[in-house]
Amino acid sequence: MANEMNYDRSKIRNFSIIAHIDHGKSTLADRLLEATGAVAHRDMEEQLLDNMDLERERGITIKARAVRLDYASPDGSSYVFNLIDTPGHVDFNYEVSRSLNACEGALLVVDATQGIEAQTLANAYLAVDANLEIVPVINKIDLPSADVDRCRGEVEDIIGIPAEDCPAVSAKTGLNIPDVLEAVVHSIPAPEGDPDAPLRALIFDSYYDSYLGVVVYIRIVDGTLRQGDKIRLMSNGATFDVTAVGSMEAFGLKSRGILRAGEVGYLTASIKNVSDTRVGDTVTLADAPASEPLPGFQAVHPMVYAGIYPEDGARYGDLRDALEKLRLNDAALTFEPETSTALGFGFRCGFLGLLHMEIIEERLEREFNLDLITTAPSVIYEVLLKNGERVRIDNPSSYPAPDDIDTAYEPIVKASIITPVEYVGGLMELCQDRRGNFIDMKYLDAIRVELHYELPLNEIIYDFFDALKSRSRGYASLDYELSEYRPSKLCKLDFLLNAEQVDALSFIVHEEKAYARARKLAERLKENIPRQLFEIPIQAAIGSRIIARETVKALRKDVLAKCYGGDITRKKKLLEKQKEGKKKMRKLGSVQISPEAFMAVLKLGDD
Amino acid sequence: MKQKKPLGLYVHIPFCRSKCDYCDFCSIVPNSNSVIEHYTDALILQMEDNSARLRPYLIDTVYIGGGTPTSLDEKRLARIIENIYRNFKIAKKAEFTIEANPATCDAKSLRRLRKLGVNRLSMGLQSVHDNELRALGRIHTFADFRDTYEAARAAGFDNVSLDLMYGIPEQTEKSFSETLSAVTALEPDHISMYALKIEDGTPFARRKDALVLPDEDAQFSMYMNGVEYLASRGFERYEISNFARGGKYSAHNLKYWHSEEYFGLGAAAHSFIDGERISTTRNIRDFIDGLEIVNNDINVIDSKVAVRGEALADDYVMLAMRLSEGVNVADFNAKFGIDFNEKYGVLLDDYVDDGFVEKDERGYRFTSSGMFVSNYILSDVLGLDEE
Repeated sequence: MANEMNYDRSKIRNFSIIAHIDHGKSTLADRLLEATGAVAHRDMEEQLLDNMDLERERGITIKARAVRLDYASPDGSSYVFNLIDTPGHVDFNYEVSRSLNACEGALLVVDATQGIEAQTLANAYLAVDANLEIVPVINKIDLPSADVDRCRGEVEDIIGIPAEDCPAVSAKTGLNIPDVLEAVVHSIPAPEGDPDAPLRALIFDSYYDSYLGVVVYIRIVDGTLRQGDKIRLMSNGATFDVTAVGSMEAFGLKSRGILRAGEVGYLTASIKNVSDTRVGDTVTLADAPASEPLPGFQAVHPMVYAGIYPEDGARYGDLRDALEKLRLNDAALTFEPETSTALGFGFRCGFLGLLHMEIIEERLEREFNLDLITTAPSVIYEVLLKNGERVRIDNPSSYPAPDDIDTAYEPIVKASIITPVEYVGGLMELCQDRRGNFIDMKYLDAIRVELHYELPLNEIIYDFFDALKSRSRGYASLDYELSEYRPSKLCKLDFLLNAEQVDALSFIVHEEKAYARARKLAERLKENIPRQLFEIPIQAAIGSRIIARETVKALRKDVLAKCYGGDITRKKKLLEKQKEGKKKMRKLGSVQISPEAFMAVLKLGDD
Repeated sequence: MKQKKPLGLYVHIPFCRSKCDYCDFCSIVPNSNSVIEHYTDALILQMEDNSARLRPYLIDTVYIGGGTPTSLDEKRLARIIENIYRNFKIAKKAEFTIEANPATCDAKSLRRLRKLGVNRLSMGLQSVHDNELRALGRIHTFADFRDTYEAARAAGFDNVSLDLMYGIPEQTEKSFSETLSAVTALEPDHISMYALKIEDGTPFARRKDALVLPDEDAQFSMYMNGVEYLASRGFERYEISNFARGGKYSAHNLKYWHSEEYFGLGAAAHSFIDGERISTTRNIRDFIDGLEIVNNDINVIDSKVAVRGEALADDYVMLAMRLSEGVNVADFNAKFGIDFNEKYGVLLDDYVDDGFVEKDERGYRFTSSGMFVSNYILSDVLGLDEE
């Protein structure tokens, strides 16, 4: 076969592009596709590698994607480039690290107008950890405020890699893109690996296709994989017969019959469920297995949980179907049925982080046309009970009674914030306010500072990112990783409307914050609950102790005082509209709340 | 001779001297006499078109409303009234009302109206405080009103209704109670007391945020205190916003609330006749052209809907519950063949304990506080679109 003859490992280059959000990673990828002729310019949709509409709109990559490019170098040789795009957000750090492990090198894109940001650093460290050769690419040099020399200096001083001769480009205009292609050839090493050794292939992504089953993206580290082979997944021992192997081209999959050490490609094997093909797992041959899997596999666990309910209770089944469809492609999404007296039937969903949650919500609403009510996001707490049992709590409603608790633990993250120096004061105040524990502060250069804090995760998941942006006029950037669980004084805050507890409004909060949050939410409820015929007391409680109260006054006036000269229709239309509005209300005990009001309350930040 | 059926007749005059800031009624300030002349002609053509149709009816209430009917000159107004008599059979004891605004009529014109058979005046006063009148965009002062009111009495009008408003800019509970006592001192026969509503498209709606209005609670006390005070001065509240002394209810408006038949002439007028609700175009130009050029009533009809069965029952309940007497269950059951208690009563029962609804062997009615939240309750109780 032609492919067998084409295999020349020394001509393969496997690399990723890493960058801080908005520094132009996807645009650079597009230019590389164009420059290698994988895509003609006229076919170019902006950001081709980002497949989902949502990704294109938000300008972020949610899932990794990969593409093979054939590059004819001016030196006369032909090269095979495998470009592996990575998610740019901290929620998907694990996926980033696995994608990087499939590569020998990384292009580190730095915006010439912004310089190095928190995720630039975080991603660069991930690349260093994965032993990648890092090639800096200074981007956006077409912009008037670009400062290429400063950027080179930062890369050398802060990350510690030479940048004197690195490509300086404009991905937008295409300027100096050939420099990038040559840098890939000359700076990034060819892959190693023995095609005759037992098969070890790293899974770095997968997605569900309704015709092919799960399509698994792999990097062959050792050995050879052929169509027809029986494979085994080393984490769970599941075996499958390979129906196809090949490469990812710009416009789809291309079956090639064989993949060998050093190559990047896909396999299909009539796999029904993406959760069988976990990112980071090792594929080997069932008949001649490798003795050891590749290092670094972890099952990813959700960090943030929230209840998701259909606004219209009748659409519970549609919501379940939609979640199942999304899970086909997203092994990190978990959900279990949950019932709430306030919201009816819904699902407790687990997410990698807030962004992941927002993306899932948005996809449910957009792609499946659902109107949702989402409860306040919660992290996972651990509680040591007095009876010695240790339980994990992902739902406030299952939080143990105060008397049963010996010690409660909450997740702590290590956060790194990079900010222009003038905002340091405000951001330190913010971190302090969010129960942060200052670790250190480093000057990156004359004008920028990197702050390190330990912060409770539950302080970050509400609106920390927004607060960070608003206190730094958008300049500060954030990266964090989970560090440990620590003992903490936590309590469950409940809300009662008209003396009846509303389960969907409960949340777990640190004691110090309980009063302020209780007051804030009680006020918010008061503003958002429409007046009804009776007075509605709103109470916030910890256990049986009421710590805040407000009252929604009774409706006094709702009357059409004048019935116009015989125009009955007009009055009737008014009542019809009113009845329609009431139908959308959620009945919480005796109190009615509109979904909009519910959302306004649940989307609480500590503003 | 066959007994004629009773019918209310409404005639709309869509002209004013100036437009009040809160008003969204169909009315314009005419820029020439020509539009008034054409409108009058069209109105008379419409009467002639419907003269035959209304032959089986005996008209026992006539109501000329607006706009400001008295903003027309005496001659035109007389021509309209004479044509009403010419085209329709008007009962000898018919209630014949015209809306009159202060400063648009005088002793002479009022005497002439009285002579033409008009026997009831509905006057727009709104407030006795000139600052509040200015805030509403009214063109008259309280003194102007008093002159007109006295002229009306002198002209022989023994049935005069006054319109008042609460919830208006600059008003306080105190200033409203001053309005009430000054007004009752004039001893009108009937008072309509309306809450100001900010209607879309009005000048008030455009500067809504800048308006300082009494809040919901203040309006509630104004209403409740008003009802109590007027009762103490002999005014019986017989409908949410309407009060009468000596049994001088508005017979014409009662037809609306009793779901009886009425016929509307002029732009933006409404009819309920032969089981149909008909509305006429609000566009004055279209009204004139429709009648003058095509000379056919049908061209000015905006909508025509047959209302029957449960929808009609809903309408009936919605309207009857505006009245202090409420719904008489036996009458309702006989009229519709629907069990009132089963369809509406069980739902109204929920509001009895909290004092919003009263119930006895005759039927159901709202209490004062219930009337003031009647939309809220009716939107629960009526079937509406579920039918």
